[in-house]
Amino acid sequence: MNKNSIILIVLFPVLVLLQVLIFNHIILFNFAVPFIFIYFIIRLPIGLNKNILFTLSFLLGFIVDIFSDTPGVNSLSSLILSAVKTPIFYAYVPRDDKTKFIVPTIESLGWQNYSKYLLTMSAVFCFCCFSIEFFSYASIKNIALLTLGSTIITFCLLYGVDCLLPSGKSAYSS
Amino acid sequence: MRNLLNFLIRYSTWFVFAIYVLLSCILLTQRDDYHASVMFSSANAVSGSVFRSASTVTGYFNLLSINRRLQESNASLENEILNLRNQLAEYKAIVSDTVDVRSERRFDYVLASVVNNSTRHPKNYITLNRGTEDGIQPGMGVVDQSGIVGIVNVAGPHTSRVISVLNETQHFSVKLKDTPYVGSLHWKGMDPNVAYMEEVPRHAKYNIGDTVVTSGFSTTFPYGINVGTVMNRVKLSDDNFYVLKVKLSSDFKALSTVRVIKDIYKAELDSLTKFDIITD
Repeated sequence: MNKNSIILIVLFPVLVLLQVLIFNHIILFNFAVPFIFIYFIIRLPIGLNKNILFTLSFLLGFIVDIFSDTPGVNSLSSLILSAVKTPIFYAYVPRDDKTKFIVPTIESLGWQNYSKYLLTMSAVFCFCCFSIEFFSYASIKNIALLTLGSTIITFCLLYGVDCLLPSGKSAYSS
Repeated sequence: MRNLLNFLIRYSTWFVFAIYVLLSCILLTQRDDYHASVMFSSANAVSGSVFRSASTVTGYFNLLSINRRLQESNASLENEILNLRNQLAEYKAIVSDTVDVRSERRFDYVLASVVNNSTRHPKNYITLNRGTEDGIQPGMGVVDQSGIVGIVNVAGPHTSRVISVLNETQHFSVKLKDTPYVGSLHWKGMDPNVAYMEEVPRHAKYNIGDTVVTSGFSTTFPYGINVGTVMNRVKLSDDNFYVLKVKLSSDFKALSTVRVIKDIYKAELDSLTKFDIITD
């Protein structure tokens, strides 16, 4: 078992608990909600078996849903995020042997590429989450405001988390 | 058969994805189903115990503001008792003998702590650390020291889930205090301090700052529990009714201890309602 797998195994319960016990109760200026638990999906290695990726993402969202009383909202959003993860990654990083099984971190991608990847992933998740939750055109202003605010705060938070954690570069990249 | 298996294996990713999407959609559409709520909500055994453990720490937060509000509420109640005692003394002086005044209590309260609470969703729920073993049943009203909080929706043995006033799907019967004008309280999202009193008759007279209280038309809340104060009138195209903007009296971001209301006559009143339906 390599270093990144151990980090991911520890991250799963820690991120869920942090989300449901702390970050679910933080709302800055009434429209910025931090989603820390999606860091798990963001950090999963590129090239991971899709079935495992979908299963882990669904489970993650499902557990957060149970604790947050939002059945289906985070499950579906996490699932969509996991489905678009690889295309988003390759939109910013060239597709070659080096990046085939890479663990996306600041150290492995460089801060510029990682920032773009992280910002897009955060925006996609926030948009999906609030669209599914409100599910009406009447709330389009609220969805836009919440998506914008939450994307910024989630991006800053996850960037900080990535700086704090050890890099997974040694495990996959050559 | 082999071809079918090969096909399934080859496109397994799509099948797995489709199954999870389907499951998520089922969860989304079944969110108001009671049986699904018992299993997949914060009132289930696992999440309930996690929240109860966490609340042993977080329960101490906001104690300063809660203490201040309790002292205010205590002071106003003491004032009220004093006034009522004086009134009673006056009446006793006039009428020396009262005939069979029933002093039976209709409502009973169960104290509970809030172990989880949200204010940011369109449908917000609150989790309490009391359940059916403490006498809590779905349909009971929940209040705190400042005003109404919500209605119990799911009750597990040790935890229960409450539909918050901050839930777009829920309406509460309210009235303007000391007037006959009844309306329906509805929260419309975003601001946790503001809700709307709808269907107020056009001829109703009100002033900014008037108190809005529960109407007492259901077994959930007794008459006269504080809901909030009138902020202003909202303009509507429908001319028959007003909509009043109400500042909620409870601070939903700092809920700590609440009371669940048990109506002793609930079974009796419910049986009467059933009888009405049968005769129809």
